[in-house]
Amino acid sequence: MNTRLLMMLRVIVAAPQNIGAVPHGTRRTVPLSGGDFEGPRLRGTVLPDGSADWLLLRADGVLEMDLRVTLRTDDGALISMKSFGLRHGPPEVIAAIGRGETVDPATYYFRTTPRFETAHPAYAFVNRLVAVASGDRRAEGPIYTIHEVL
Amino acid sequence: MTSRPLMLLRITTSATEEIGLTPHGKLSIFPVTGGSFEGERLRGKVLAGGGDWVAARADGTFDLDLRVTLETDDGALIHMTFTGVRDDANDYLRTLPRFETAAPKYAFLNRLLAVGIGEIHPEGPVHAIEEIL
Repeated sequence: MNTRLLMMLRVIVAAPQNIGAVPHGTRRTVPLSGGDFEGPRLRGTVLPDGSADWLLLRADGVLEMDLRVTLRTDDGALISMKSFGLRHGPPEVIAAIGRGETVDPATYYFRTTPRFETAHPAYAFVNRLVAVASGDRRAEGPIYTIHEVL
Repeated sequence: MTSRPLMLLRITTSATEEIGLTPHGKLSIFPVTGGSFEGERLRGKVLAGGGDWVAARADGTFDLDLRVTLETDDGALIHMTFTGVRDDANDYLRTLPRFETAAPKYAFLNRLLAVGIGEIHPEGPVHAIEEIL
């Protein structure tokens, strides 16, 4: 599989909303208070309102992530990003992440599959690609290295 | 990103069901009649009954939305879905498969994300699916 770097995306998480036990697992919604992204072809900031990660901890211990973010490029284009992901790893590693510790991202699986939508002609290429990302959960929020699938 | 081959998936379809122009674009349904999949860790056949819901977008590309059931050669059933994009102008057919199974032997499928590199062959689409490591 050939890929190339699309962007590094940093998001800042706000206080989580713990929905609790639901029929499919344990649900938690994490609003985002901001962030930024930078890559060879686009860069800008994360809009806080409406951007959040909808998390579902499954019975098998895997965390399903459903991140929806509005990106604003430095030249004013809005890009909607939706990204489904999975996170799992050894219990001690996941517990350390839960305590807000910085953990080597190679010690757990944190991968997502972003899709993008925009109306801006300069960024129409993002409408036509699929992407994969590896995540690195930091205390202030995840850092995603997003690659376009070529 | 690093990846490793998961399976080569071949799908056969019957006559396309043309739903026509809907609010989201021209919708075509490709019913799945069968197929096969093969990889180092799993192999078997595609069961009839699924399909690919393909919506033509205003920019000339297609949104893909597939769901099928896989049956391994040792009898496990695997629910597989993918979304994806087909951009014929750029010879680009890429998908993001996801799997669900209750079979312990194949539980690793529940925990991975994958990417499919697709090609349209006369006998049906072929997807080289790689696990994202």
